[in-house]
Amino acid sequence: MSRAFKIGVFNEEEKFISSIKSLQEKEFIIYDVFTPYPIHEVFHLLRRKSRLPTAAYFFGLFAIITVLAFLYYTSVLDWPIDYGGKPFNSFPSFIVVTIVLTIFTVTIASLAAFSARSKLYPGKENTIFDHRSTDDKFIIVVNTDSLNNSQLGQLVSLMQEEGAVEVLDKEFETINA
Amino acid sequence: MYNKNIRGPLVEGNKTLSQISKEILNPMETTPGLWWYIAFGISLIAALFGFYAIYITVSQGIGTWGVNNSVGWGWEIVNFVWWIGIGHAGTAFSIFLLILRQKWRTSINRAAEAMTVIAVMCAALFPALHMGRVWLAFYIFPYPNTRGPLWVNFNSPLFWDFIAITAYLLISFSFWYLGMLPDFATIRDRTTSKIKKAIYGFFGMGWTGSSHHWIRFESLSFILGGIAAVLVVSVHSIVSTDFAVGIIPGWHATLFPPYFVVGAIFSGFAMVMTLMVFVRKMYSLTDYITDNHMDAIARILVFISLIMGTAYSTEVFVAWYSGNEYEMFTFFRNRITGDYTVQFWGMIICNALIPQLFWFKKIRRSWIGLLIISLIINLGMWYERFNIVVTSLSKDYLPSNWVSYNPTYIEIGVYAGTLGLFLAGILLFFRYIPIMAISEVKSVVNIGTKVED
Repeated sequence: MSRAFKIGVFNEEEKFISSIKSLQEKEFIIYDVFTPYPIHEVFHLLRRKSRLPTAAYFFGLFAIITVLAFLYYTSVLDWPIDYGGKPFNSFPSFIVVTIVLTIFTVTIASLAAFSARSKLYPGKENTIFDHRSTDDKFIIVVNTDSLNNSQLGQLVSLMQEEGAVEVLDKEFETINA
Repeated sequence: MYNKNIRGPLVEGNKTLSQISKEILNPMETTPGLWWYIAFGISLIAALFGFYAIYITVSQGIGTWGVNNSVGWGWEIVNFVWWIGIGHAGTAFSIFLLILRQKWRTSINRAAEAMTVIAVMCAALFPALHMGRVWLAFYIFPYPNTRGPLWVNFNSPLFWDFIAITAYLLISFSFWYLGMLPDFATIRDRTTSKIKKAIYGFFGMGWTGSSHHWIRFESLSFILGGIAAVLVVSVHSIVSTDFAVGIIPGWHATLFPPYFVVGAIFSGFAMVMTLMVFVRKMYSLTDYITDNHMDAIARILVFISLIMGTAYSTEVFVAWYSGNEYEMFTFFRNRITGDYTVQFWGMIICNALIPQLFWFKKIRRSWIGLLIISLIINLGMWYERFNIVVTSLSKDYLPSNWVSYNPTYIEIGVYAGTLGLFLAGILLFFRYIPIMAISEVKSVVNIGTKVED
């Protein structure tokens, strides 16, 4: 990967957030940020949104229709059994199975969607900008490909003013060497 | 919002972030004390006894158990319901408190979820063995087959139970594992051992903690939490319908679903408390699981205990109020008095009366008090299930059906085996998985320590 990045390393959440704000004011494009825990303000600032809830809703809709159709097929069409004269399509007692299997399906499908969308799966090669970001550092990554020298200087000094403990040039680190 | 002056800080001792990683990972990085090996040894012996009992059960059949034509459900179903109940804590804890945005869950949820997963696995063993021919257990899956195709009975609570527990196990495990991703990444990035790096790197799935990862992580947590909250309520309601659709006196009550769900959460929280007392004592993590955490669990327990007391008295009242002589007999002649008084009064004393001691702050703050009462609650919950399962079956409508029931050592062995497996599972969890959700503890470390408005 030939892309160049500047990364600012911060010790404190407050400084990190105010630095994101001032970088955005100066119209630097933040490539991504890495934090040891989720910070909601960051999601707002970087306009991160997840469409997983919408996807989950449709998984659920799909599951409900499929399960009810399956129950109808097995109990009415394929092998109807007369339980003491009750109707074959005994919808009220299908509700429990429908709810549980819907939950089952939504769980599996949402996990799969999460894994596919975030590209997280077992055994994936671990690449990370700075391995301290999963412990105690807050990292801002700015793509510097399109920046000229004076902009670069401005970027570095801005991060330092905002309290970055280090400003580094980096590519991805590979942890499992 | 969270008020520190009233409730105290969530994490004590003004920790830095890396200190938190270090202290929580400490049990994994140091060799465990002698107590760990002794406890693990004991649990393995119990598990071996369990495997022997399972071997006898499978090779000779369930005739080796004390169950008979009248009391068809003995210790196995008692223990099944008991374990499922304990398995409710993790989800109840994590998920209800997650949805209610209760931040104090953070240092306890991981252990509670671990407990859930292990307890549900222990529970699932019993109905499987109870089928008799366990190698035909796959008949319960609704798949196109050569037996007709004869489908399973989708109207039967026993089938509902099967899918509910399967779904519950899946979702509890997923939720637990999802929460561990950031922590596995932390271990991967901190450790110097190559083997650990490879293993936790593999299971960490390439987690980086980027904003894209975090927002999807949070969304997925809430999705899983939201739908699992439904399961927490439904699993034990379904277990209760196994009984409530029966026409046996003492089971035929509309009270059963909420009564079972609350009872399950009760025993689960009690088990969480037992575990937390040990974690605090053995790993000296009192800064994370503070006295206030224990206090909060104790308050929840005393509240649930009142609900349990109400449920017990409602059952007895309805039996009397129904004017049904069989119900009257079951409650007044076969539970309150009769052959099974020990179990009935044991249940009342352990679940409804003794937990009332938690009204006293001194007891909520003493670890011995917490430990003893939490164990007593689980004993009481075991009595409750015994009381429901065995008393009703042993004396039904027809006196010629009446039999008493005593477990054989094989049944005791299976139970001891699951206790051993549970303990072993928990000990391995302490050793190889971060006891607390490190990233979540980090996110709450400032709550209650700085002035916030």
